[in-house]
Amino acid sequence: MRFLDEFINYMSSVDAAKLFRMFWFFFIFEFFRFFLVEISTIIFWKFDSIFRKKGIADARLSLIKNQPLVSIIVPGRNEGKHIFKLVNSLKEQTYQNFELIVIDDGSDDDTAVICRNLEHRGMINAFYRNDVRGGKASAANLGLRFARGEYIIHFDADCSYDRDAIENILVPFFYNPKIGAVGGNVQVRNYKESLCATLQALEYYDTISIGRITTSELGIYRVISGAFGAFKREALDRLGGWDIGPGLDGDITVKIRKLGYIIHFEPTAVCQTSVPVTFDRLIKQRLRWDKSLIRFRLRKHRDVFFPNDSFKFSNFISFVENVTYNLILNVKWYFYLFDMVFNFTSQLVFIIPMNIVLYTVNNFMKFLVFSPFRDRKNEGITYFLIYIPLMVFYFGYFLRIVRTVAYVQELFFKASYKDSWNPAKSSRQAKALKL
Amino acid sequence: MSLKIVPQSIEIRNNKIEFDNLLFFIVDSNSSVKIEPLIGYDAIIIDAKDADFAKLILKKIRTHYNPEFYLKPVFLINYKESKDPILHNMNDGLIHSYDQLKDIADIAKQIFLKTTQLDYQLVATFEAQMVKKVLNYMFTRDLKTLKPIPDLNSAIGYTYPEISVNFDSTEETQVLEILEWAEKEGIIWPDFYERIYLCNQCNGGFLSYREVCPHCNSSNSSAQDLVHHFPCAYIGPLSDFRNTIDNSLTCPKCNKALRHIGVDYDKPSIIHHCNNCDKNFQDFFVKAKCISCTQDVEVQYLIPKSINIYKLTKRGRTAAGNGFLSSGKEVEDIFGAISMPVFKTLLHYEIERIKENPEQKSCIAIINTENILELYKKIGKKAEKSVLETIVNLIRENIKPTDFIAFENSSTLYLGIINSEALQAETDLANLKTLIEKLIKNNFNDFDVKINFKVKLLQPFNKSEFQLDELTKELFD
Ligand SMILES: [Zn+2]
Ligand SMILES: [Zn+2]
Ligand SMILES: [Zn+2]
Repeated sequence: MRFLDEFINYMSSVDAAKLFRMFWFFFIFEFFRFFLVEISTIIFWKFDSIFRKKGIADARLSLIKNQPLVSIIVPGRNEGKHIFKLVNSLKEQTYQNFELIVIDDGSDDDTAVICRNLEHRGMINAFYRNDVRGGKASAANLGLRFARGEYIIHFDADCSYDRDAIENILVPFFYNPKIGAVGGNVQVRNYKESLCATLQALEYYDTISIGRITTSELGIYRVISGAFGAFKREALDRLGGWDIGPGLDGDITVKIRKLGYIIHFEPTAVCQTSVPVTFDRLIKQRLRWDKSLIRFRLRKHRDVFFPNDSFKFSNFISFVENVTYNLILNVKWYFYLFDMVFNFTSQLVFIIPMNIVLYTVNNFMKFLVFSPFRDRKNEGITYFLIYIPLMVFYFGYFLRIVRTVAYVQELFFKASYKDSWNPAKSSRQAKALKL
Repeated sequence: MSLKIVPQSIEIRNNKIEFDNLLFFIVDSNSSVKIEPLIGYDAIIIDAKDADFAKLILKKIRTHYNPEFYLKPVFLINYKESKDPILHNMNDGLIHSYDQLKDIADIAKQIFLKTTQLDYQLVATFEAQMVKKVLNYMFTRDLKTLKPIPDLNSAIGYTYPEISVNFDSTEETQVLEILEWAEKEGIIWPDFYERIYLCNQCNGGFLSYREVCPHCNSSNSSAQDLVHHFPCAYIGPLSDFRNTIDNSLTCPKCNKALRHIGVDYDKPSIIHHCNNCDKNFQDFFVKAKCISCTQDVEVQYLIPKSINIYKLTKRGRTAAGNGFLSSGKEVEDIFGAISMPVFKTLLHYEIERIKENPEQKSCIAIINTENILELYKKIGKKAEKSVLETIVNLIRENIKPTDFIAFENSSTLYLGIINSEALQAETDLANLKTLIEKLIKNNFNDFDVKINFKVKLLQPFNKSEFQLDELTKELFD
């Protein structure tokens, strides 16, 4: 109690300039980028959507009239157990002119047996299998090679899709012909399974739903999720498909942008995925994701930082934005930490709780303000409200530490080439070619 | 009317030869194809110059339901090595000239000797009768095994001459059913020889296997290796990597040449392209096209059968000589008839009754259908039961409710006729005989069934078994 009094006394004695000096990191980065920018973009987007309504309705009509063939490709390894469910749920789709192509990347379980059976029963249009594992990119490319559709939709076997998801993800192509790829809205299905999953559900709301509306609107949308992404066939053909992962989702998005296409995020095309339910699994997943940032932003696509033929200002911004708010931000946060430790050593006992208070208030505000903008919620606002205070620890500390570890490993040890996610043969090649 | 030059002391007159107390008849291409007139001869010699004709006659003899025919010694003259398994295996000896009559006369006598040892016991069901026939043949010829012989003319590709002779080549699967039945009865013992697969529609064994497209069933497809280029993750059929200039392989995505399998590329699988529907697939179906009925069937639906070499078991060896009683379960549950044990019990009661009331008369009767085996062969064994039920229905309609019927086997039945004089029963049965003959003729493609019956007055002081045996003996003598 005495501490609380002291804390309040101290904080009320601080003037605005000093407050900013003490919490500059929060005000510059969190509040500005992840609240002010987002909220203004979302408001603009919501306002703008009134004018887009007619165009979108026309686009939908045009899609329904044209009925282009869509190839759904589902590359995976040991995913056989999910395929039957996926096939069944696809029967519910409002858009039905699709072919389903499942690619098995050298599974060592029953996947081949299950999928062959489904293929024979006509429930899968084609099943291709590499007896020798070749990595996720090559599996996707194999599907692409034999796909016949004008549009390619990339699915993950363990995701499920809203009944209008395929229709909704295709509509933007008819709304704006410059759109080369559309990302779907990935939500967390198993958000009730554990605390870890609930926190991720909140994170997905924030960074994926809201964050991607913002980046898409600003033209700096970075990663079309592998769980749900639609591509113009011609764009993928020009690129020769996916390159070696990890991070191939982000990679292909960048490359399509480089070809001059617009990348669009479609919040109404909803896909549900299961997230890791334990923290150690989550750590593994995030280490892999975060390493790909270094590898693809900084190594492979270095050229976006330098003016050349394919230089696009928005590409540059997208990269800068991404690199700033992920890599640099991470470094800056440590910089802030040191700043505080050395310059405000005695006030640290107040600064840390104050930071937590600021972040938490910000998180509540964001959640409440953004909630009306979400078309589709898997649970009422109240379910998540009680978890909001934990977000600061999850976001501010847990994910930040994981990210730091990933960056350090990748920057200094090039760890992703050793990642068992790719077969050794592909990784060796990729490393030699500086991919 | 031919007179052939043969060694002295052997004289052929009107195709007949008498030799060593045996009367031979020579069937040649001028002879009639009717075999019934041959019944009086001890042995037949078929001139096999015309192999087809010889086979026709031989088959007619061996197929006949009467043992007087099917066990008759048959020899071939002028026989040239033939691929036909029936002609080759179902004769009793070959001669090149009539000089060799002595040899075949000895063989014929051996067969007669064996034939006299046979016990023509009646057996139930079509299978049992067929097996009995085969066993009798094997016994008289001293055969111990039934061997499958590859045969292009058989629908299943194999023939067991001793059984197959009774069937058309298209009915060869029935042969397998009979063998399976005999195996179950413990008469023969199988030794695996070969596995065959039969069409699930027509049981045909001539199948053409091929890889077909899972989408359109066409066999018009071509296969290619899939190539995975590691550096760029491109993957596609080998043809994607070919160019028109030289033999080098170049990646269509990154334009690099493929160098060393396992290092910069590999071939993770094979892809098939259907030239009919233009689809690609990896898992082709193997389908079997039946040459006989043209049905195209997936191999997992084919009917697998083992072709075995069958040896007679101890039971089989005894049965071959002494006949055997099959369980006869097949005819026990014919609606309207009772089982033999029940029949005997009822008969026993009736004997007791007339013993006490000597003024009352009752009869027993036996009805035997001589050639119904032929009918079963035509309509298949599954229809056998319905034939029997039809017959029982007809009899039931024409007898008193107190009378009772039991099947001894599928060609023989007994009747207990209560409160009837022998003469009346005789008339009633003559009527029944006509009715049954008509019924079969009308219902089964004009089949002429030959029916024999015998009626006897029930004796008050003899056992029921004895009286039934007497009745049976009288019918068959
Ligand atoms: Zn057939
Ligand atoms: Zn390549
Ligand atoms: Zn085809």
